[in-house]
Amino acid sequence: MNNKSRFPRFYLVFLLAVMYLPILLVVIYSFNGGRLSSVWEGFSLRWYGTLFRDAAIFEALGNSLLLAILSCLSAAVIGTLGAVGMQRIRSRTAGPIEYLSTLPIMIPEIILGMVFMAFFSLLGLPFGMTTLVIGHTAFCIPYVFMLVKARLVGMDPALAEAARDLGAGEVQVFLHITLPLITPAILSGMLLSFAMSMDDVIISIFVTGVSINTLPIKIYSQIKFGVTPEINALCTLMLAATILLVCLSQWLGRLHPKGE
Amino acid sequence: MSKKKNGPAWLMVLPLYLFTLVFVLGPLVYMVVLSLLRRAEVWGVTNQFTLENYKNILAPVYLKTFVESFRLAVISTGIIALIGYPFGYFMAKLQGRWKQGVMMALMIPFWTSSLIRLYGWIIVLRSGGVLDQLLMGLGLTNGPLRMLYTYPAVVIGMVYALVPFMILAVYSSAEKMDWGLVEAARDLGASAPKAFLTITFPLTLPGLLSGVILTFIPSMGLFFIADILGGNKVVLVGSVIQDQLTQARNWPFAAALSVVLMILTSAMIWLYRKVAHVKELEGLL
Amino acid sequence: MKRLATILLALILFVMIPGGCGKKAETMTLYTWEGMFPPEVLEGFTKETGIAINYANFDTDENMLARLSEAGGGDYDLVIADDYIIETVIAQGLAQKLDTAKLTGWGNINPVFQGQFFDPSNEYTVPYGSGVQTIVYNPAAVQKEITGYADLWDESLRDNIAVIGNYRVVNGMALKVMGESYNTEDTAVIAQAGQKMLELAPNIRLIKNDNLQDDLLSGEVGAAVMYTSQVTLAMLQNPDLKVVYPTEGVGFGIMGTFIPSKAPNAEAAHKFLDYVLRPEVSAQCFEYMGYYCTNKAAESHINEAYRSFLTLPESVTGGEMIQTVSAEAEEAHNKVWTEFRAACGN
Repeated sequence: MNNKSRFPRFYLVFLLAVMYLPILLVVIYSFNGGRLSSVWEGFSLRWYGTLFRDAAIFEALGNSLLLAILSCLSAAVIGTLGAVGMQRIRSRTAGPIEYLSTLPIMIPEIILGMVFMAFFSLLGLPFGMTTLVIGHTAFCIPYVFMLVKARLVGMDPALAEAARDLGAGEVQVFLHITLPLITPAILSGMLLSFAMSMDDVIISIFVTGVSINTLPIKIYSQIKFGVTPEINALCTLMLAATILLVCLSQWLGRLHPKGE
Repeated sequence: MSKKKNGPAWLMVLPLYLFTLVFVLGPLVYMVVLSLLRRAEVWGVTNQFTLENYKNILAPVYLKTFVESFRLAVISTGIIALIGYPFGYFMAKLQGRWKQGVMMALMIPFWTSSLIRLYGWIIVLRSGGVLDQLLMGLGLTNGPLRMLYTYPAVVIGMVYALVPFMILAVYSSAEKMDWGLVEAARDLGASAPKAFLTITFPLTLPGLLSGVILTFIPSMGLFFIADILGGNKVVLVGSVIQDQLTQARNWPFAAALSVVLMILTSAMIWLYRKVAHVKELEGLL
Repeated sequence: MKRLATILLALILFVMIPGGCGKKAETMTLYTWEGMFPPEVLEGFTKETGIAINYANFDTDENMLARLSEAGGGDYDLVIADDYIIETVIAQGLAQKLDTAKLTGWGNINPVFQGQFFDPSNEYTVPYGSGVQTIVYNPAAVQKEITGYADLWDESLRDNIAVIGNYRVVNGMALKVMGESYNTEDTAVIAQAGQKMLELAPNIRLIKNDNLQDDLLSGEVGAAVMYTSQVTLAMLQNPDLKVVYPTEGVGFGIMGTFIPSKAPNAEAAHKFLDYVLRPEVSAQCFEYMGYYCTNKAAESHINEAYRSFLTLPESVTGGEMIQTVSAEAEEAHNKVWTEFRAACGN
């Protein structure tokens, strides 16, 4: 038993280590004394200083977080309900709609951003958080939808049928039977959506309003001058904060183990 | 099946239907229309209908970029499946807290800027960089590999960026598996590989297949990894589209390229589903 | 998970609060790349006038124009972009004439950068920085002495050159070597330049726009054709590098500031322009940006260590500028470029 379980652990840890290698370098270079993003010039906290004086970048970070949360939540609701519902309606329209909904991840962002911009202004939507959330939700839905769908495939429908026969309402069946079974898929989809949204720059540039900058826009518009280690410093802090939050929630979960 | 029984299900799909019809179909129709218009001399488009843009795509130089995109997408997706499947599978076998931990560890890096992460890879891959030093330290190579700005560097970047999609897809279908079935098969004398092939693999296949789709689709359009780690020397369709919009100002041609890319990607997915013979995935694209 | 979400939300609110407060003051929306102004200059302006600056960003000139024309020349008060796009902006009627009476520092502008093709009678723009595409090489890593573009074709430079990702500049090198104009609209000539480029392909190690200087400094390549801000960074880091203004002549570009036609607060935009034209403020800006100084009065205020990098040599100012060409010529350039890139990869 012991012998058998060693390889999987080793594999997981090894792959994670490879994935964290560039991240580790990002962290190390955030302490770089010079302005160049990949030439080491000695240890310094200079970029953290620059970062903390830069209020605009924190505002952009706040916008990005809000945007990512709103779009991954809307994608989760729309995508999950859609995947579960589609399994039941058995309508001819399901195939085409499903196909259409995946198109936003199929075409390069830049053209998508352009047509979104033109389309939103055709509809007369004011550019800002609303248009950003719509644009991001569009490319987040496929992730949630596909993962939930893959999870639903082959799931025993008898359970839901039985519950219905016993007089459970649709809402109850969904909340108490289906939802718990597909939760891992929804969460995975949301995590991916969150990551995609946090990182999107091109669509955001086209559909954002005058006063809303997101973090990726801030980073990419630096390219004219070269991205400075200030961004490394910010990423390092974000990583640290996320890891801290995860540990905190794990620790709290250990103190009150009621939810699990 | 009475209509009444399906009523709530229709309500469930309503948001998806509405959103897709308005915010996806709408812009796409606009894109198709755009691809049929003539560009204005200086900026924007005219209202003249033309098929010129599609004809221009037939130039060998642009056709080659489609082939190149397809080749890279297939290579990357293949490697991602090989690496990601075991990861997702092993992850699903972990216990509660470990499972959560690994999932978080997997996703956290992807919440930071991809550009900055690519810079991290540049430091790893550049001549005399981390990888070179590691390999030379181990005595495996004598001089620098000059790996950065080559095709393998692009593939590494693609795999790195897209492997979480595969992992999470496999994970979410493997996680629901009833491991009791495997135990039972083993008790009945099936060897471990046989138990895997006859029980585990078929049950996790939907996850693997949707993982392939989830990685293949974006990889056809993804180009900035090839631009940054490949030094712009691997020319993908996405990159040409970008050039058309940001330098040549030819929106209709960019739209036409996108339409063709969309059709080709869809055709690949369709073909893949036919070849893979997965009944359960009927309707998945 | 739920708990995590709650904590995250709380954190966002926390981050958002400082941004949300005090938005009532008069604002001016500045639309340009990130990194165009040192924070002290922006803060100094707000402190002096009470006008808050809303700094909005774009990544490329074309995306800026797409947004600006969608907004009908409104939404933004002041835009800084490259010369050739400003020509289009003005032609599209998206810029308004400046009220030079409100610009007390108008006389500080270096006349060399005025009266150019995009704004021949200086009605719409104030130049803000100039750049030249320059060859920089590391004599330790390159055997040949480089004096012009033609030297880049030398076989000793195999797989050892980096260039920026702007095809008008790179194709332009071939055109210049052939003795043609950057702005030729003859597609046959452009195609010929394309053939010439294919001969250059084996020497190209990489093509990219961001942080190109890193590759020269880390030894990934021995020579690079790059933008002025990158040249400045590279020279400050390694003074042994050699800067070459190619003998074939170079093209210099200008970044210009303009006020969109329907700017909500053109008054504030004028105030800001005037503020930035002050010699001391201007010097601060150029030191920060690393582009050639377009403000004559500011030159003497620039730090000695920087001054030589930030003033454009006399010999260069007569160079040809890269302008917008006909759609047909643009198409030809694009094809040549795509072929060239693919050839570099083989």
